[in-house]
Amino acid sequence: MNSKFTIMAETLKLNIQFGGGAELLFDKIKKREVELPPLKKFKPDCQSEKWTIRELLLWIKENLLREREELFLQGDSVRPGILVLINDTDWELYGELEYVLQPADTIMFISTLHGG
Amino acid sequence: MKLHNRSPQKREANLKRQFQRQCQILPQTTETPKDSVALCTQFRVKKMEQLYTLENEIKELRQKLKEKEEEMNKIRREGQGDLRAWILGQGKLDSSSEPIVQCGTLPKWAIERYSRQILLKDIGVQGQTRICQAKVLIVGAGGLGCPSAMYLVAAGVGEIGIIDYDVVEITNIHRQVLHFEQDENVSKAESAASTLRSINSRIKVTPYNLQLDSKNAMEIASQYDIILDCTDNVPTRYMLSDLSCFTKKPLISGSALKMEGQLTIYGYRSETHKDDKGVSYKGPCYRCVFPTPPSPDVVGSCSAHGVAGPVPGVIGILQAMEALKIILDMPPDKLLVERMLIFDAEDMTTRTVRLRKRNPACATCSDHPTNLQCRKEQSKDYFLHYNSENLQVCRLMFLNTLGIKEAMVRCWLAKKPIKRTKKHRFKCQDLVDYIDKLPIIDSKCHLCLNSESNVKYIDLNVKNKFHLYSMYVKEVSLKNIKPASRKTFSKVLLAKNLRMFKPKNDRDVCDLVREHNLINYPFNDDDFYRNSTLGLDLIYEGSNLDKLVGQVEESQTPVIFICRRGNDSQVAAKLVLDKLPAVHQSKVKDMAGGLHAWAEKVDNNFPVY
Repeated sequence: MNSKFTIMAETLKLNIQFGGGAELLFDKIKKREVELPPLKKFKPDCQSEKWTIRELLLWIKENLLREREELFLQGDSVRPGILVLINDTDWELYGELEYVLQPADTIMFISTLHGG
Repeated sequence: MKLHNRSPQKREANLKRQFQRQCQILPQTTETPKDSVALCTQFRVKKMEQLYTLENEIKELRQKLKEKEEEMNKIRREGQGDLRAWILGQGKLDSSSEPIVQCGTLPKWAIERYSRQILLKDIGVQGQTRICQAKVLIVGAGGLGCPSAMYLVAAGVGEIGIIDYDVVEITNIHRQVLHFEQDENVSKAESAASTLRSINSRIKVTPYNLQLDSKNAMEIASQYDIILDCTDNVPTRYMLSDLSCFTKKPLISGSALKMEGQLTIYGYRSETHKDDKGVSYKGPCYRCVFPTPPSPDVVGSCSAHGVAGPVPGVIGILQAMEALKIILDMPPDKLLVERMLIFDAEDMTTRTVRLRKRNPACATCSDHPTNLQCRKEQSKDYFLHYNSENLQVCRLMFLNTLGIKEAMVRCWLAKKPIKRTKKHRFKCQDLVDYIDKLPIIDSKCHLCLNSESNVKYIDLNVKNKFHLYSMYVKEVSLKNIKPASRKTFSKVLLAKNLRMFKPKNDRDVCDLVREHNLINYPFNDDDFYRNSTLGLDLIYEGSNLDKLVGQVEESQTPVIFICRRGNDSQVAAKLVLDKLPAVHQSKVKDMAGGLHAWAEKVDNNFPVY
């Protein structure tokens, strides 16, 4: 159980990127480097110690989201029309919400375009 | 392809503007002496007449030129014969999937004309033969369709079909490079086809001046090998994906907005290339990747949000590249199958991301598509016609996956342009009378009462405002009065701050939970000019609205609310009025019809955007 404390003490560095218009909900900033606190600190009642996309979405909602929430989230997932990419790969191939975040991961939220 | 339909009034306004532009070309007459004003006017009139005659002459000459060109092309075609038929006659009939036609089957002119691409190892004479035999359908002759068609035609693709029901507008030309100034108000499909023919007279170009819908889609698409999705709206994109699944033709889908573009291939199938299990390769369709469509209010369009011309240009050209690669039968790992290219012109980055695989349980492209399972009575309007066969699509399924209301689909797919009556606010006095007579109660919610928003509720046992509307229509029709439209009805209700509410329990006192948090429209300069973001016109209550109300109070002059078309400003003005003390209320003015009305009625020189 020693490892528990080491994990808890560490923060998790991630790259978060927005595109296709999704950045407009986040101060129009497309690329960010964020540092996630230990999960227990962010969500004390959480059973797991590992950050997953599910918790990341909550964290984003509380810390980064500036505009209307429903334009980004729907239920506990992202709204239809936003493509989530984990290290340039569709999140569906990584288990969507259950993916355990690794240090230096790049998570992208791309709103699909329809103009032409 | 455009979603909105244009009214004749707008077309008239266009012509008017065109005329005015011509007037501006006239030499400046400010230097003439004051006493020769009459002379000056005479001079202008003369010049105008000259200009008019020249215009007409040029128009006639163009028409004549067009006829001559057509005649020449016809004779040429007869002399040389169709290259496709020529190749097919020399090689084997129906050879698209059979071993490639042998070298030496291309005529001399074709080898010379396409020599620079034949030199490529990936193309060669065999590849060029394939290209000359290929048939590509381009849906949408807009920002994406123009560049992609241009390059496919130049590369010698045997047959090109181009679909668009819209006409060329002067606002299109910055990105839709096949249309020229003289093509204003000409059908986009025709205009594109005529430019394409002048690029390459050796190929067949078929313009379709129509709206692709469930009735004609199968018939048109079955004549082609590849479909290019160059459309600008969500329903057509889903329809094209379904079409690509049914006809088993790959769909190369491009999109562009503002400074960003996206590109990928859906519905890819290959007999020659196997996947790792040795089964013929199948890529995902649009519904595999996006099973649920976005709600319409988060979808942006070029006309509302703008687009940098080169962005659809880049994406369209890349669509053409992918089409050529499919024609050359390149393996799927070299194509944008299961991959999406994301282009951002702002920082000049491209990224290719990996998409999910085909969903074996997909509603459309699986072996047992649920889209096709239907209940009889629900499939009435939604089926794809093909060879007198009707492939039925369940209406509910269709609409649910699209996430849109049936009435919207009807409007979008209707061939006739939607009649847009001019907005006269609350013109229908009988409607206002009707609503005023309804029993009305105050809100029970303390938040509503405290916020001075004056929300009132209609004390009737009605389900919703549409229910109430139908009651209104019934009553009015009895009196032989033409009822107001549903939209007007809703607007009047909104303006009078009347709502329908059915409490679910005793504690349930208000349906404005959401509105209590959010109030208003963007007011900071940046947002104001850009008319905000992808449908994000609402921002949270607080600083902005209060600040604005404060500014209005302090202002010594009237405060005018303006937006593009007059809808947003009306709502914004109302919100400010609600918060403003009565003394200051007379200061607030809203410009009905917005900048568009201003340009039309007051200042014809005002640039409409």
